[in-house]
Amino acid sequence: MTQVNVLLGQRPASPQALESAAPELTQAHRDTPQQRLALLDAPEEWAAFSLPEKTESGCWRSSVVFEGMHCAACAITLEDALRAVPGVRSVQISGASHRGQIVWSPELTRPSEWMRSVERHGYKALPANDAHAHARRREEARRMVWRWSVAALCMMQVMMYATPTYLTQPGEISDEALHLLRWASWVLSLPVMFFSCTPFLSNAWRDLRERQISMDLPVALGMVVTFVVSTLGTFEPQGPFGAEIFFDSFTMFVFFLLTGRWLELRMRDRTAGALEAVLNRLPDSVRKRQTDGTWALMSIRRLQVGDVIEVLPGEAFAGDGLVLVGQTQVDEALLTGESRPLARRAGDRVIAGSHNLSGTLQVQIEQIGAATRYAQIVTLMESASVSKPAMALLVDRWAKPFLVVVMLTSLASAIYGWPTDPAHAVMVAVAMLIVTCPCALSLATPAAMLATAGALARSGVLVRRLSALQNLALIDTVIFDKTGTLTRDAFEVAHIHTRDGVSHSQALDWAGSLARHSLHPVSRALWSEARRRAEAAGRLDALEALTAHDVNELAGQGVQGVLTQSGQEPQALRLGSAAFCAAPSRAGHHLQVSLADASGWLASFELAEQVRPEASGVVQALAQMGLSLKVLSGDGPAAVAQVAQAVGIADAQGGCSPQHKLQALQALQAQGHKVAMVGDGLNDGPVLAGADVSFALGQAVPLAQAQSDFVLMGGQLAVLVSTLQRSRQTMRIVRQNLWWSAAYNATCVPLALMGWLPAWAAGLGMALSSLLVVLNALRLSQALPDSLQQQALVLQSV
Amino acid sequence: MDILYLLIPLSVALVFFILAGLWWAIDRGQFEDIESEGERILRDD
Repeated sequence: MTQVNVLLGQRPASPQALESAAPELTQAHRDTPQQRLALLDAPEEWAAFSLPEKTESGCWRSSVVFEGMHCAACAITLEDALRAVPGVRSVQISGASHRGQIVWSPELTRPSEWMRSVERHGYKALPANDAHAHARRREEARRMVWRWSVAALCMMQVMMYATPTYLTQPGEISDEALHLLRWASWVLSLPVMFFSCTPFLSNAWRDLRERQISMDLPVALGMVVTFVVSTLGTFEPQGPFGAEIFFDSFTMFVFFLLTGRWLELRMRDRTAGALEAVLNRLPDSVRKRQTDGTWALMSIRRLQVGDVIEVLPGEAFAGDGLVLVGQTQVDEALLTGESRPLARRAGDRVIAGSHNLSGTLQVQIEQIGAATRYAQIVTLMESASVSKPAMALLVDRWAKPFLVVVMLTSLASAIYGWPTDPAHAVMVAVAMLIVTCPCALSLATPAAMLATAGALARSGVLVRRLSALQNLALIDTVIFDKTGTLTRDAFEVAHIHTRDGVSHSQALDWAGSLARHSLHPVSRALWSEARRRAEAAGRLDALEALTAHDVNELAGQGVQGVLTQSGQEPQALRLGSAAFCAAPSRAGHHLQVSLADASGWLASFELAEQVRPEASGVVQALAQMGLSLKVLSGDGPAAVAQVAQAVGIADAQGGCSPQHKLQALQALQAQGHKVAMVGDGLNDGPVLAGADVSFALGQAVPLAQAQSDFVLMGGQLAVLVSTLQRSRQTMRIVRQNLWWSAAYNATCVPLALMGWLPAWAAGLGMALSSLLVVLNALRLSQALPDSLQQQALVLQSV
Repeated sequence: MDILYLLIPLSVALVFFILAGLWWAIDRGQFEDIESEGERILRDD
């Protein structure tokens, strides 16, 4: 069994990785894992993922994430392997979260030693860099369990002491025995009051000091009142509150409230786990090229912009960078929502946190740390998760006067009932205080929106403000920009015109051989078209053999170079604008590039924008959802009309300046329309900001500058439809939650006021109502259909 | 019924005793990973 698991554990990320990884692993690379691990042996490095162990002095407790684990049996194999290392004191591995805690003594071992033992068994141990946050959360969860268990155990025992008072007739039990039972109940209520209740009490106290009213205040008030009244009843039976005690009610409602809080905490941690997967992706060490050309392993913290690093298959990129050498496929799924492997070759850019799947690359680092797209995504997700949606703000605004009214009402009912039955009056007031806590009401909106934001993030849609989800559900008009939105950023060759005696493919080959040296989008389009045609004709080798030399690029004009073909004179070629090539300019709305040789004009290429293949499907799906669609673009009217027709939007307007777009948008809003704007996020800043909801598309957007509410990171239009559907679903669930919690408060307040609701039932009701709201919201955290499924769905609807 | 005067304080003491045991268990992380302990029976040795 162990053997099987070890084999499974060695399975690499993908079949491609296996094929191409093998030949890449030269002797130089074979010893690098050891060097990589040895880096962790410096105390300042291991402190990043370890904490000093409290119980065993001198030992460290390290948090690691394991790769290659499949089941709980793997955890057992790993634990055995780690325990066998001398110096490892204890090991705890969770099969569910793939995380582990290892306590080890620096006198006997080092992290590299036990990590190597993990690798010998076919797994991989990565330092968990969020160890400190994780430890804090675990501590919090432990204390919560502990509070809850104290309340549970004491509640059961207090209930037993209370039973005789319910079951016996007056006089049947001696006063001394009764007093002893009360004393015992009081003793067991002490830990509940002074330990289990502290979160409620300290929150209430903090709010009081800040002169604010929050939901914990009435609850804490209820706890204190019940405890004080019962304590007086125990020790001063002749006092103003009589001999009645309520320790059983008290412990029980505290228990129910804590149960609710605890389950809430667990669910929140589960949602946080989805984001954590993104947050924990950077490698801990990189191989950097030294000045003498050799590679040296170093910690990621010492990486600087401009460094050249080598990235092996299976590793994550440490920073945003430019590929210098190599060709590979990368997995950007967690960052962009694009689930397919993407091809990257020299000249392409890779992003930090994405994974290199198949080939070895040399990457020049352009951004590190907070400047990377990865860090921006993480910051955005964190800031969005603490932003308060408008609807929650509204609830909070009403919650305050509501709470004041509740407290005054319970006070009034206590005063009203006092002359007849002081004990009953106090309990009615306490039940009122507890049952009306609008916890469910204030959880209703943020719980649902956070769950949705988490699900969207996993599909590559970033939500910048939670309240945008609310606006999105109300949208009735969608305005698209054209370039980069309905069309791709790339161009395709539409027409070729040539001088007499030159064939299309010849012209394209020559142009391509120059264009391959340039990264301009137009050049890339020409080169890929040349390759495509050559490949179709089976003469790719001949094309690759065409080499241009002395190539230089003149910004804003074009490329020039000398082409040498076997058996022919070297040709001086120019590729670029009509003026650069002294070519006749042609009419037409397409972008034109010309090719010229020493004797003048050779050929012209008309380049058209590529309409996104999914665009027309998306347009149709949106139209079916009852939205009116519109195209506003700064491009020429003819080109805009053509694209709009191709995707099936009737209402198109070209030649718009940003001011025009904004005016058109405001005109629509003045008619009462709710408008969503979809743009590339760069050129449409004011328009995006003016729209009710805005989407930025495309991977080129610097996230920190994007003005939009949503960022479609994968540059996939198809996800727009499911985002819209999910936002409508979210608002439906928010409304359900709000109705439910409002109805709950509306029925329970009169019941409590009439004295029909004992305090323990009030506590149960409150805990259940919050729980129901959170559970309902969790329905939204299921993942969106992935991009391929979405495309299939969109195409089906066509 | 005099035995009550011994038994009731004793039961209170017992509760605190159990709580102490519970604290020990929670502090050692006994409740953090409930699933994999059950699968320990599947191990080979």
